Amino acid sequence: MSEYLIGLIFLVGLWGVLSKPNIIKKIVGLSIMNGAIVMFFVHHGARFGSTAPIREGAETGAAAAAVMVDPLPQALMLTAIVVGICIIALGLALAVLLYRRYGTLDIRSIEAEAWSTRD
Amino acid sequence: MRRVVRVMVDAAALLAIAVFLVLSVVPEIATPVADATGSETPRALDSIRVHILERGTEETGAFNLVTAIYLGYRAYDTLGETIVLLLAVSGIVYLVGAKR
Amino acid sequence: MRKTDIIDVIARKLSPYILLFGFYLVAFGHRTPGGGFQGGVVMASGIILLALGRDPTVAMTAFPPAKLSIAEAASYILLLALGVAGVAVGGYFLENVLPPGFAVPRVGFVFALNIVIGIKVGAGVSLIALHLFREESG
Repeated sequence: MSEYLIGLIFLVGLWGVLSKPNIIKKIVGLSIMNGAIVMFFVHHGARFGSTAPIREGAETGAAAAAVMVDPLPQALMLTAIVVGICIIALGLALAVLLYRRYGTLDIRSIEAEAWSTRD
Repeated sequence: MRRVVRVMVDAAALLAIAVFLVLSVVPEIATPVADATGSETPRALDSIRVHILERGTEETGAFNLVTAIYLGYRAYDTLGETIVLLLAVSGIVYLVGAKR
Repeated sequence: MRKTDIIDVIARKLSPYILLFGFYLVAFGHRTPGGGFQGGVVMASGIILLALGRDPTVAMTAFPPAKLSIAEAASYILLLALGVAGVAVGGYFLENVLPPGFAVPRVGFVFALNIVIGIKVGAGVSLIALHLFREESG
């Protein structure tokens, strides 16, 4: 059930990217999509156990491993979060440039002016 | 021309939503996990998890097993990620950091 | 933009503790939830709080962008040097250079990588934010 809800959050982000005219809202949509994917992976890895994957001491890991969540999706999502931050920061910088060039953040006005001054 | 672009964007959005719906209704083609809700997993994935949970500290030295993967088993990945961050920073300095 | 005294005082008093907490996350990343990237982002958020609560120029005099760039480049070179050290010892690139054992000698390599990545990510994210803020303040 929660997979479907996370997919719904992803679709909210996709809707924001595709149908909002404001560039900042498009970037917020990208961020929502990134968060939904991170949530999906962490939720998928957390099916296995209940405790954080941190060893306490030199005990044999078999008993402790049975109740730990899978650390592999969390480590992968750490990388995905970093790449998402880089994408969002570059998108914001490009939005600054577009605002400086066209004086608006509305993608429709930017599109109209860009097509009219194409030649 | 703009109408063609808009129709193509709308078609791509509808296609993405359709693919998502198909993948969520038929989970067998979306993920190799046999049952999306049960505890049945393929043998290889389970053995990787058990290996990391049981021997990760001995092999990499970190108590935190997420750190053990992040800086031990997948340190190349971390290096590439820092390169991505470095490129993003230099791109932003190039784009908005110039004196007007 | 008009700012109240409350925001000013809270940003000024809180940002050193946020920097300290970020360094705690970096330094204990092998033991507790945390790590280089997370602690670096928390450190950068302390600098961003200073820039938003006071003024971007205040944050830029406390943390000059030129020196942040030097910190980022130096920590990146240090990361590559740690990777090459693994080759020199006889293993692979980014191999753990310390002798095998359960945790205590061997965890030092992960600790060093955490410190280097924390400095690099903190400097990088605060550079991004400071450049965007400088654009806003003119």
